[in-house]
Amino acid sequence: MPEFDLDSFKKTWQEQKVQPKYNSTEIEAMLNKSSRNYVKYILWISIAEFLIILGMNIYYSFLGDDSNSFIKILGKLGVQNSTDLRTSFGNLYLVLKTISLIITAFFVVRFYRNYRKINIESNLKKLILQIIRFKKTVNLFILANILLLIVFTGVLTVFTFTVLSQQNIHLTHPTLIGFVVGIIVMTILSIVLIWIYYRVVYGIILKRLGKNLGELQKIDSQQE
Amino acid sequence: MSAKEQEFSKLIKDNQGLIIKVSRLYTNSLEDEQDLFQEIVLQLWRSYDSFKGQSKISTWMYRVALNTAITLFRKKTKSPQTDELMDFHHSGYMEDDDEKQQQVSLLYKVVKMLPQVERAIVMMYLDDLPYRDISENLGITEVNARVKMNRLKKTLKELMEKHA
Repeated sequence: MPEFDLDSFKKTWQEQKVQPKYNSTEIEAMLNKSSRNYVKYILWISIAEFLIILGMNIYYSFLGDDSNSFIKILGKLGVQNSTDLRTSFGNLYLVLKTISLIITAFFVVRFYRNYRKINIESNLKKLILQIIRFKKTVNLFILANILLLIVFTGVLTVFTFTVLSQQNIHLTHPTLIGFVVGIIVMTILSIVLIWIYYRVVYGIILKRLGKNLGELQKIDSQQE
Repeated sequence: MSAKEQEFSKLIKDNQGLIIKVSRLYTNSLEDEQDLFQEIVLQLWRSYDSFKGQSKISTWMYRVALNTAITLFRKKTKSPQTDELMDFHHSGYMEDDDEKQQQVSLLYKVVKMLPQVERAIVMMYLDDLPYRDISENLGITEVNARVKMNRLKKTLKELMEKHA
């Protein structure tokens, strides 16, 4: 076999017989079909996630009765229910809900803006970065929610111990251990489940994009 | 059917060779090839308004087609399907025309063995796009595009010798 020279293949490549496969009618029909691509996939999943979290926030802010549930837990620890206690907890809870809603609204706007920035006519490197930035908005939103979960748990724990101290309630050893362990286990379990979910849902897409971006960066750093 | 849609479909019909080549280079089954073709057409349609008069048709089509194949496209089939080309290659005596077709098939086979970004560089090089266009389409420097292409020639030579 003669020695391979890519340049000698150029002419053959350019003259290759590519049979036209589609006529105008078939091409026009394609314009009415829906797109099935990774960005759309991320978009729909992310919208579903935003709606679920937004729905939960709205539910707990306006319709839910979870502040009563918390007061009941305090009651089980021996805390006496009073108007002052309910007012203090109500104010604290309002602040936490407001923070959560502000964060969600901020991310919804940012998410939409970054989606609009994805332009198929950008160069490849820029396009990959645009998609990654768009996806990162979702990641940050999730991270913010995990942090909120930790902060809320922390704040509610501090609030509980403050009330216990004010009412001179000393928990027995097993009750205290059970309370603290319960909070820690529930928090860790929530974080692990959220993390696994995101690895499964977005792992494959980001791996591929990251690989291609890595390839481009490698080419740009290999100058002779 | 609007005049714009008719104008667009004529444009695609007349230039479908480029989209077919990209679709073939980035898929391993006929089903995926057809799906990718359709996805590229949809992406071209969506950017049609912004394209008009902005750049050469081939430059615009190349960029959108490669971007779609590399970043957006979701394949249905997972396993690679390369035997058909081997069978074709080893099918005995072929006429002159078939020999050219055989060379093209072999090229597809070895180029498909490269990572996705490298495939794009080789395809643009084979289609004689200037290095400036190759670098602009990928977002790398022109010098690095040249360096990479020179390395790719060596890689392809080794692959050809191994698989031909």
